[in-house]
Amino acid sequence: MSETALDRTARALDLVPYLLEHQGISTRELADVFGVSEKQINEDLVLIHMCGLPGYTPLELIDMYYEDGYVTVSDPQSLNKPRKMNRSEMTSLLVSLDLMATLRSDEIASEIAILQEKLRTSLQVENPIVVIQDASASPFLKNLEDAISKSAPVRIIYLSGSKDERTERIILPLELYIDNKATYLSAWCQKSNADRTFRLDRIISCETVDLQNFTSTIKSSQNSFETGQIIIEIDSAARNFIEDNRAIIAKIRERVGDQPLIVELSAIDSRWLIHTVLGYGGLIKVLEPAQIGEEIADKAAAICASYQPK
Amino acid sequence: MSDAKTERLINLTLALLATKRYLKKSEILSNVFGYEGSQEAKERMFERDKDDLRSLGIEIEVGDLDIFFEDEPGYRIPQKSYELSVPQLTGRELALLSIASKHWNDSILAPSAQSGIRKLQSLGIPAEVDFDFRMKYRFENPTALLDDITRAINQKSKITFSYDSKKLQVRHVEAYRVLFWNGFWYLIGMDLDRQDIRIFKISRIVSTITLAKKKNDYQVPENFDSKSFLPKSNPNILTRARIDIRKDTALILRNRGTLIQQGVEYDTFEISYENQLAFLRELIWYETNVKVIEPLDLRDALVELLSGSIR
Repeated sequence: MSETALDRTARALDLVPYLLEHQGISTRELADVFGVSEKQINEDLVLIHMCGLPGYTPLELIDMYYEDGYVTVSDPQSLNKPRKMNRSEMTSLLVSLDLMATLRSDEIASEIAILQEKLRTSLQVENPIVVIQDASASPFLKNLEDAISKSAPVRIIYLSGSKDERTERIILPLELYIDNKATYLSAWCQKSNADRTFRLDRIISCETVDLQNFTSTIKSSQNSFETGQIIIEIDSAARNFIEDNRAIIAKIRERVGDQPLIVELSAIDSRWLIHTVLGYGGLIKVLEPAQIGEEIADKAAAICASYQPK
Repeated sequence: MSDAKTERLINLTLALLATKRYLKKSEILSNVFGYEGSQEAKERMFERDKDDLRSLGIEIEVGDLDIFFEDEPGYRIPQKSYELSVPQLTGRELALLSIASKHWNDSILAPSAQSGIRKLQSLGIPAEVDFDFRMKYRFENPTALLDDITRAINQKSKITFSYDSKKLQVRHVEAYRVLFWNGFWYLIGMDLDRQDIRIFKISRIVSTITLAKKKNDYQVPENFDSKSFLPKSNPNILTRARIDIRKDTALILRNRGTLIQQGVEYDTFEISYENQLAFLRELIWYETNVKVIEPLDLRDALVELLSGSIR
């Protein structure tokens, strides 16, 4: 990696005031905070150590002490305050905050709003990025966050979309995330004895349970409904399928001229694949496995037939 | 080599920051460590260094000085313009900001969010956290084009790029805003060929982005509201459908509909929807367990969509 003298200067100017407020920090942590190697940080420190004010006697140099990988600064000379932020730093922070605000609907959201206002008035920067998130707020978000941080199980009633059933299960929440428009929870599920993903808007009740009721009996986990290698053909009018389902795209094959795209998918629930492809009205074709392609055609025919006058 | 230059730039910054009065160029060249060589070489070095520091956003003030200095200009970095000044942040606010800045993982927004946070953390505010923020965000990783677009918006230079669409490949656009919408990146702006405001998905820009040389070439309309250009939720455009649902099936659909009639095999529900295609895709999940009664165009659209999959 070739770094310019300017990049290094910028980092050095930021390092000194940071050190001043984080006395005794380890070089490893510094490397982490500044996103460079520990070796680089050490080289930076050696260099900074030689800088100072005209005269350059020990009294005028930046006074810094580092030993056994820990750093202290006792005299920063004129570098006692951080530099002002540049435009992209300000923008990134404002956008980060905008994003966080759209993810919350609880009391943290109102705190963020106050902070946003504070920064907007003082930074006076035109923010070129607008964040819009149509996430549906779930009343159970806070519960689930608490459960994750305490590693506590919860009992939920869940409407499963793919199996069309209502189940009650005890789960151990692991991770919450937003993908596209929906909020998901991945959790260890006692019922299936495996990790499962739940959509928050389909959880219709959620309560904490006693740890005593929570036994992790080991059952053999079942993945029988997963497909093997899948190859599909995608018309360019359906390319948003690729954008919306990045996680399952294994490979996009080289495209020849105006030919439709051939895409390989990783193993997924065949029910999901069938119903999703049906929703594209022929713009996506399943080439392999062939029997899924047939099943799709059969289902389409069956649904259409139900609308034929008897 | 790089070491010597870095060292000199740091020393120059320190000296110009420390001084209250303007430093004469001759004072700088003879006193600041690192200026070596002939007078001419030193001066060239100093000119370059000034430009470099300015490119870092450091303001170097040039003073006309008083008569004693004759024509020699003087320099200094005013502390006020150098130092970060933000309103008093509480420890909790700082903690909120640093949590927020971590959403970007390894994307191109991450480094500047990280360095911004570092500066705030150098202000001596003790951060305090007493809440647990667990929500993660999965988003389309922005490409380097994002930088070009934000730069174009900042300096109001028109841009040109090729766009992956059926017609009119090359687009000339006055960029207004970048939209980060449901995890995807878009550009909204005036499409100069069509003379209309358009939205472009950044991942479908298939070329590099060329910025016109001219700056301040256009204006973003005052109070420009990007949201009003999005296909959006509007309760006035909701359509009501009557759907027959087989007993004990389509639980999610039942959950959000209103039961209007119970039958023997099927119950009839009224369900509102906004986007026809999205609703059809939802209905398809229940196969023959659901049946569209009304509106007729929804029914026809369903049959037509599915016909595409029949061999």
